[in-house]
Amino acid sequence: MFRIGIDVGGTFTDFLLINELGESTIYKTLTTPKDPSEGVFDGLVLMAKDREISLPEFLGQVKIIVHGTTITTNATLTGDGAKTGFITTKGFRDVLNMRRGMRERQYDSKHSPPPPLVPRYLIATVEERVDCEGKEVTSLNRDDVLKSAALFKSEGIEAVAVSFLFSFFNPLHEREIREILQEELPGVYISLSSEVLPQVRVYERHSTTALNAYVGPILAKYLAKLQSRLQGKGYAGTLLIMQSNGGVMSPEVAMRFASNTLLSGPASGPAAGIFYSESQAVKDIITVDMGGTSFDVCLVKEGKPGFTVEGRVGDYRIASPMIDIHTIGAGGGSIAWIDPGGILCVGPKSAGSEPGPVCYGRGGRQPAVTDANLILGYLDPNFFHGGDLQLNYDATFNAIEELGKKLGLDAVETAAGIYKIVNANMADGVREVSIKRGHDPREFALVVAGGAGPIHAAAIASELGLSLIIVPRESSVFCAAGMLISDLKHDFVRTYNAPVGKHTLEELNDLYGIETLSGKKLFHGQQNLNRLKDLYNEMRLEALKTLSAEGIPEKSVVLSYSADLRYIGQLNDVEVGWEDSPIEDVINGLEEAFHKRHETLYGYSMPGSPVEFMNLRLSAIGATDKMSFNKFPFSGIDASFAMKGKRQAYFNGKFVETPVYDGLLMGNGNMLEGPAIVEQPTTTIIVTPEFNLACDEYNNYILRPNGVKFHHIRK
Amino acid sequence: MSDTKIDPILVAVIGNRFDAITKEIGETMLRTSRSPIFSEARDFVTAVFDKYGRLVAQTAYIPILMAGLPFAIKSIKDHYKDDIHEGDVFILNDPFGGNNHPPDINVAKPVFYKGELQFWSVSKGHHADVGGGGVAGYNPNSKSMYEECICIPPSRLYHKGQYQSDVWNLILSNIFLTFLVEGDLHCQVGACKIGDRGLLGLLQKYGTDILYQAIEEVFDASERQMRAQIEAVPDGKYYAERFMDHDGINKDKMIKVGIEAQVQGQEITFDLSGSDPQVVGYVNSTLPNTHSACYLALVTLINPDVRFNEGVMRPVKIIAPEGLVVNAKHPAPTTCCTLTAASAIIEAAWLALAQAVPHLAQAGWARWCAPATMGFNPRTGRPFADIHFMCKGGGGGTEGFDGWDHIGVVVCSGGLRSPDPELHEMVNPYLLLQYEYWPDSAGAGKWRGGLGVIYRWRVEAPDIPAANHGGGTREETAPYGLAGGKPAPKHQLYLKKVGGEVIQVDAESLYHMSTGDIFEIYESGGGGFGNPYERPEQVVLLDVRNGVVSIEKAREEYGVVINPVTMEIDRNLTDSLRG
Repeated sequence: MFRIGIDVGGTFTDFLLINELGESTIYKTLTTPKDPSEGVFDGLVLMAKDREISLPEFLGQVKIIVHGTTITTNATLTGDGAKTGFITTKGFRDVLNMRRGMRERQYDSKHSPPPPLVPRYLIATVEERVDCEGKEVTSLNRDDVLKSAALFKSEGIEAVAVSFLFSFFNPLHEREIREILQEELPGVYISLSSEVLPQVRVYERHSTTALNAYVGPILAKYLAKLQSRLQGKGYAGTLLIMQSNGGVMSPEVAMRFASNTLLSGPASGPAAGIFYSESQAVKDIITVDMGGTSFDVCLVKEGKPGFTVEGRVGDYRIASPMIDIHTIGAGGGSIAWIDPGGILCVGPKSAGSEPGPVCYGRGGRQPAVTDANLILGYLDPNFFHGGDLQLNYDATFNAIEELGKKLGLDAVETAAGIYKIVNANMADGVREVSIKRGHDPREFALVVAGGAGPIHAAAIASELGLSLIIVPRESSVFCAAGMLISDLKHDFVRTYNAPVGKHTLEELNDLYGIETLSGKKLFHGQQNLNRLKDLYNEMRLEALKTLSAEGIPEKSVVLSYSADLRYIGQLNDVEVGWEDSPIEDVINGLEEAFHKRHETLYGYSMPGSPVEFMNLRLSAIGATDKMSFNKFPFSGIDASFAMKGKRQAYFNGKFVETPVYDGLLMGNGNMLEGPAIVEQPTTTIIVTPEFNLACDEYNNYILRPNGVKFHHIRK
Repeated sequence: MSDTKIDPILVAVIGNRFDAITKEIGETMLRTSRSPIFSEARDFVTAVFDKYGRLVAQTAYIPILMAGLPFAIKSIKDHYKDDIHEGDVFILNDPFGGNNHPPDINVAKPVFYKGELQFWSVSKGHHADVGGGGVAGYNPNSKSMYEECICIPPSRLYHKGQYQSDVWNLILSNIFLTFLVEGDLHCQVGACKIGDRGLLGLLQKYGTDILYQAIEEVFDASERQMRAQIEAVPDGKYYAERFMDHDGINKDKMIKVGIEAQVQGQEITFDLSGSDPQVVGYVNSTLPNTHSACYLALVTLINPDVRFNEGVMRPVKIIAPEGLVVNAKHPAPTTCCTLTAASAIIEAAWLALAQAVPHLAQAGWARWCAPATMGFNPRTGRPFADIHFMCKGGGGGTEGFDGWDHIGVVVCSGGLRSPDPELHEMVNPYLLLQYEYWPDSAGAGKWRGGLGVIYRWRVEAPDIPAANHGGGTREETAPYGLAGGKPAPKHQLYLKKVGGEVIQVDAESLYHMSTGDIFEIYESGGGGFGNPYERPEQVVLLDVRNGVVSIEKAREEYGVVINPVTMEIDRNLTDSLRG
């Protein structure tokens, strides 16, 4: 029986096929943007062909397919989502499009905000109001709803998003409106904020709900088609869809919560990183993925990736929990330029793949990072993508020389400068991620993915003082591999606002000086344990129901709980989590845990200062049954048999005759000293003179600084 | 560049690192602060200074804070001279001793390496309360700084690592919203520690010699960049003036800011000698604020990619004689200068330079005009304080681009994040009735202004003072149009008392609200740029469909006639109007 991880990327669709022995094979087909299932089927056909069986025969042997798709992401970025209508509370028509009134390039008057997801004429308001305690102030005006429905009908709307003020405290109006809309607009995709993201902060909730509607019909259509096509070819196994939160879900759940796929592209990276670092017995890792235009960083502490609720797809805000992947504009295509003050800069502008860097010979004129790598001897002009693309050295040299003249540097110094600056920028990205979560990056291992990453990994590690680098053998299909080891996962949230702990009225009055103000002794919103229990239980039941529909029995479900807490008066929260135990068991330790976490993150805490709840969260995991990769036998320390030649490469200010190894020949135990270059068709690893490299038992590459032992090597 | 001692690549790497450190300080401030003015409105600035007190790198979340910090660091250095130690943390808010206006509190931590002072890690932010008689810091009735704040000269929050409880107690005992201010001071100290940590890492990696060489190079590079941009502006002397509504005390007198911009080669001088003498009320500007406003006007016009540091300031000169409203003498009240005076200064500087570089100029942005309120919320049982940051008007149009909607006052240039209406209601005793675009609030133009907002709420608690501050309530102070574009309407504010009385709310004035009262604000959009008759018909039609421009205005101001039934353009009538 087989398992297949499928990652539909911008250019290539990556496949990782694994059999029950744990033997893996990589496939790549061209992505077919119009209908991505074409590219998917191209790959499946290839797999069947390799086994000399028909597609239905092959699919009959496949147990599980995990599918990562960027169809929703692309629709959002290109403005090709469904024609969407939006309904909100009367008097608040523009909160969605106001985007909290921010302009990212503050001093620059010569640019426009992103086009609205929903133009104003398709935003309807209806009379209704719930107050900040969830009480109905004004009932839902049905005539207003019918009027909006008529407008949407005449405009040919495909999806409707509904988001009212305080609907997370009281969803009745949203439920009521759904019934009317279903009747008036049959077949139209409906997305309610109280289901998509029942959480305080209206713009963020609006935007997430609107995005869900905007991409919902597209994903639903695509998945229905894919499912019927697979079934038509005899597939009877499970199909799972990758989510932005690092988990997978069934197609049925995906159709309802389509926005959960919006940032799923890199979301399986951390799972892959955890998996590949297993041989090194480390649980604190930073995964980095360097592509053509961007560099993605994710920090994993004790085997757990960071999460964020501050995501963005292009310029559109999405507030559902997702893996915290920090992206900076540094990639192989990042362009080097000189600012008006005469300082060399690299990125964030990228040459992309068309025209691409100068060395591609497709008309690119401005030198990019890949060009610098070529001049420094890190790339072989005849072995780029395994030789598929011949790189133009002379044109590249001239372009970099031209740039360097403005700095008084020669071509090689300039190339070395570009390399150094882009590395420093990437190191800053890693540093930012670590500091944000209160960690010292030196305590982490670097797991490197993407074609361009391993050229820069050693230099970045040196810059940050990291002492362990892992480059997976499947580095180029890293995310497809991660999908196969991801679990079913669903996140739930409820907003609950009250102080933590049992403060007496007197204490609170003292604290706020209430008596001096009004003489009253009122205090609302004392912590209510029963209410807390109810809310967590509500989420728990919802989680069990969802997972049970996906075939996971209750006993196999793992729940983890958390609460967003803050000092009373703060406006941002800190998430404090605990494993599967009821709130009443942990509530007494919550404040203490919060003070500690605050101290770690921000350098101070204020014990004694009262703390309040803001959101309650539950994350439910249904373990999927996992594949395992097979291990390879120890094949000796000597790697010299894999050496395929030597070339001049630039290290520490001069060119050095550097041995080049064929990575595909290297196996468990093989070791070499830097400087060296290890090449695979789509990956080049630069082992700087400060590092040594060895293969672990999965044939992944491990880099360690000189003087640090490889502890997995057995003799 | 060939005589450079230090590798230019290292200069870039180190320069970027300094910038990144100021962002790390800021990120900490954003996440831990309590005052919504800090964490939601992002009214703060973070920076690194060198041992000579020169600005090395800065992230100004609100640009009107961009040129103020050098004055504060100089004041602390001058005051303490050699008495600065490892583990010290300093505080300062004296508007006549290095600060820009009283609510912005500076916190600075000297960074020591091998026993010697090398850098300063600095943050400055707008606090919810600084004592005095104001409402969340704003007191439109004040006639001296003693009525608007507790004045903190350079002082120590920590001395050699020791918490100075006497200083903390002295400050906090003079403040109403202690629980917000104490937390925010801790937040600033914590943030400076984060900066300290980053700077120490840099010192350990490169040592002081290389860092100081790199700093000189970064300054020179920024100076060259600034000079190149100034050189592109035609030489000449350009004068313009703008007005403030009034100072809160003498309500019938507008106050003039007159600026002559003198451009000569690679240098520019802003001479504000043409401004009115200082006034009684709290719109007087301090010198640091006047500097910031001039720099803001300059960089938003000619150098949006600026990396603001010591080097940038070298080719720029600012003349603001003491005793004028742009450089008031002690003990004048100054709290509102970052909004009221700064907007007038920026607009005058823009209008002056618009004569030289019209294609870069912007039409007027909506001035700030909204109340600060504070009191006790019976529902939560807690005191509250808020500045109503939902009242953000529109930005001005510029050649090629419409103004931004609901972007807020120009001193923030789009850095002011609107508060969340739900969190706002959970904390404040208010029920929001309306918060959406104000149709026809934008000045017409080929590139029209951004839209302003209607913001209305009902008060649900007794005895709430509302200090309305800012201006733009007159024709003269409403956003101007440029290059044939039309001005935007003036703001309209009303307090509708529960008994039926309707009070027209003025700029810089104090009101009282009580249960059942309704406060209504119509905050204007931005001015238009270019002849509105040149705006493409289809764009005007879309504005009408979207309900942001009325059919009447489309006809009157844009010459586009739309049939209200079919919502299509009437070809004949439009052609006859547009010709």
